[in-house]
Amino acid sequence: MEELVLELKQRIIDALNLEEMTPEDIETEAPLFGEGLGLDSIDALELIVLLEKNYGIRLANPAEGKEIFKSVASIAAYVNEHRTK
Amino acid sequence: MNIVITGQGIISALGVGVHDTLLALQERRTGIGTMRHLPSTHHELPVGEVHLDNEQMKASLGIDPTHEVSRTALMGMMAVREALQQAGLPCGDEPKCHMTLISGTTVGGMDITERHYATFGSSDTHLDNLLQHECGASTELMARHFGFFHDCTTISTACSSAANAIILGARLIEAGDADIVVAGGSEALTCFHLNGFNSLQILDHKPCRPFDAERAGLNLGEGAAFVVLEREEAARRRQAHILGYLSGYGNACDAFHQTASSDAGEGAYLAMNQALETAGLRPCDIGYVNAHGTATPNNDQSESMALKRIFGQAMPPVSSTKGFTGHATSAAGGIEAVISLLALQHGFVPANLGWAHPMCDGITPSMGVEHCPLDHVMCNSFGFGGNDSSLVFSRHSHAHVERPLLPDAEVKVLSQVTLADEAQLADIRQYVKPMEARRMGRLIKAALLTSLQALEQAGIDCPDAIITATARGCLDNSERLLDQLRDEGEVLLKPTLFMQSTHNTIGSAIAIRLGCHGYNITYSQDGDSLRWAMHDARQLLLSGQCKTVLVGCHDETTPLLRQMMQRLGCHDIPSIHSKAIVLSCGR
Repeated sequence: MEELVLELKQRIIDALNLEEMTPEDIETEAPLFGEGLGLDSIDALELIVLLEKNYGIRLANPAEGKEIFKSVASIAAYVNEHRTK
Repeated sequence: MNIVITGQGIISALGVGVHDTLLALQERRTGIGTMRHLPSTHHELPVGEVHLDNEQMKASLGIDPTHEVSRTALMGMMAVREALQQAGLPCGDEPKCHMTLISGTTVGGMDITERHYATFGSSDTHLDNLLQHECGASTELMARHFGFFHDCTTISTACSSAANAIILGARLIEAGDADIVVAGGSEALTCFHLNGFNSLQILDHKPCRPFDAERAGLNLGEGAAFVVLEREEAARRRQAHILGYLSGYGNACDAFHQTASSDAGEGAYLAMNQALETAGLRPCDIGYVNAHGTATPNNDQSESMALKRIFGQAMPPVSSTKGFTGHATSAAGGIEAVISLLALQHGFVPANLGWAHPMCDGITPSMGVEHCPLDHVMCNSFGFGGNDSSLVFSRHSHAHVERPLLPDAEVKVLSQVTLADEAQLADIRQYVKPMEARRMGRLIKAALLTSLQALEQAGIDCPDAIITATARGCLDNSERLLDQLRDEGEVLLKPTLFMQSTHNTIGSAIAIRLGCHGYNITYSQDGDSLRWAMHDARQLLLSGQCKTVLVGCHDETTPLLRQMMQRLGCHDIPSIHSKAIVLSCGR
């Protein structure tokens, strides 16, 4: 799990082009949207692409992402359960 | 001065020509269906395609079938031809009468580019087709086809492009810079933007349902529509039939987000307000509003709010006709202008197809009214980057707000900043935090940097208008999307790249950063883009509509483009070039 969390952090940094950030700067349990890292709806779409591309997870409706994308920890839990690759 | 419409031409999913369009609207027959021409794998997505294929259009236009011509240009020619015919043009006066063609497009010749993209890097067979890629090339092809236009230009502000082309047409005539303007827009469906919109997850898999509680996105459409604009006296002198009056227009920037509208619909509200003001009309004078109504959750909520702010309790019948045509993106403003004119001429309100359930806090659209005399009709077109425009058409002549040039006015250049070296981009850090810059391509960074520096030097926080000139826009982004389509097929594309592939992303990024709600326009006419931008800025300043204007000229190249240009024997172009100029008058 720890490995997946680290991998996700790096992939989020790359996909969202979070310049000057390292995995250590993202807290695993901290909110990604709003107050926390400050991501928005376009970032959520990038995360949907990230899940499909790297883990074979397809979210048909952006609304589904709300719960899943709460934090890196929640994404990791979802990926762990639903990944097809 | 009254501006009249003496010709209209249209081609869309509803058919070829005004007659077929009117019939489909009155019979409430949608043009949206399964894909027939677009070589895409996404057959699950309904689209509003023009039923003619390119070969049929070439035959109709008398174009050599062996010539490869972009679908955008072909549809544009079909619509322009009809508009000219109706207006009785050419009338023999052309040598004395300055005629200008203005087309709105974002896709341009992308259909040809994606057809040959795989071979561009290695083979010379289809290299010539590169020259059709740019937006401006499609307009030039159209103008050349008819042979009697003195000038042409292209507006590229995403889905409000054609409406802005019509606004520019009226302004050129008002300023005496043109006698007759044919203005509108053309846009072909491409895999590029179908997959782009798909990655933004705003395409409905069912026929779209504007203003419905269960709406789930738009259906893409395609087509072209143009109107012939001229002075009333000139039209009467040559005994042209007057179809209606362009009595008001407005353009404003939401300055909120590249792909989402603000909750209160600020840009839309400002554009509609300005259109009423220039027309000298009150909201209660409007008999029908043809809404932008894309059927995305965000647009319809935001537009509803803006409509409520303008019309309050006295809401006129409102409908979105995208349930008929699909969303023809850059051509939508032209198609809906013609539909609005037909409603005005024939006295009916087109139905808002697809609506069944009232949305929370939304407007209740009209399901159509058969016989209903209309005097004034409003037509809304909103684009990415919050580029919002509104037009008002009237049946009869009425006093129109005049904007004479200021006496002894002089335009001054307050500052000028140029960037031609990528290394200078590092300076962006002084203005933009990494988190804010995360989605900015290098051209946006360059444009923002030169603009902010030029404004700083001029001592201005926010200009009254932002005018951008760009031949190819954020080319790097477009190329990366084309690479992805070529290498991975029609998978979910990177949304960030698509968001920045429209040419007006540049001007919008500057507006969002400055909170500038003023006029925001992008010219995309190859080497002529800056000339048009400067001309527009001068007119705004000399007529007293603006005190300060930010003009920018921004372009980038990629290694592939440079290599192809070299093979074509064209002169070398720099990898990045950005210039920002602050102009003022009376400040």
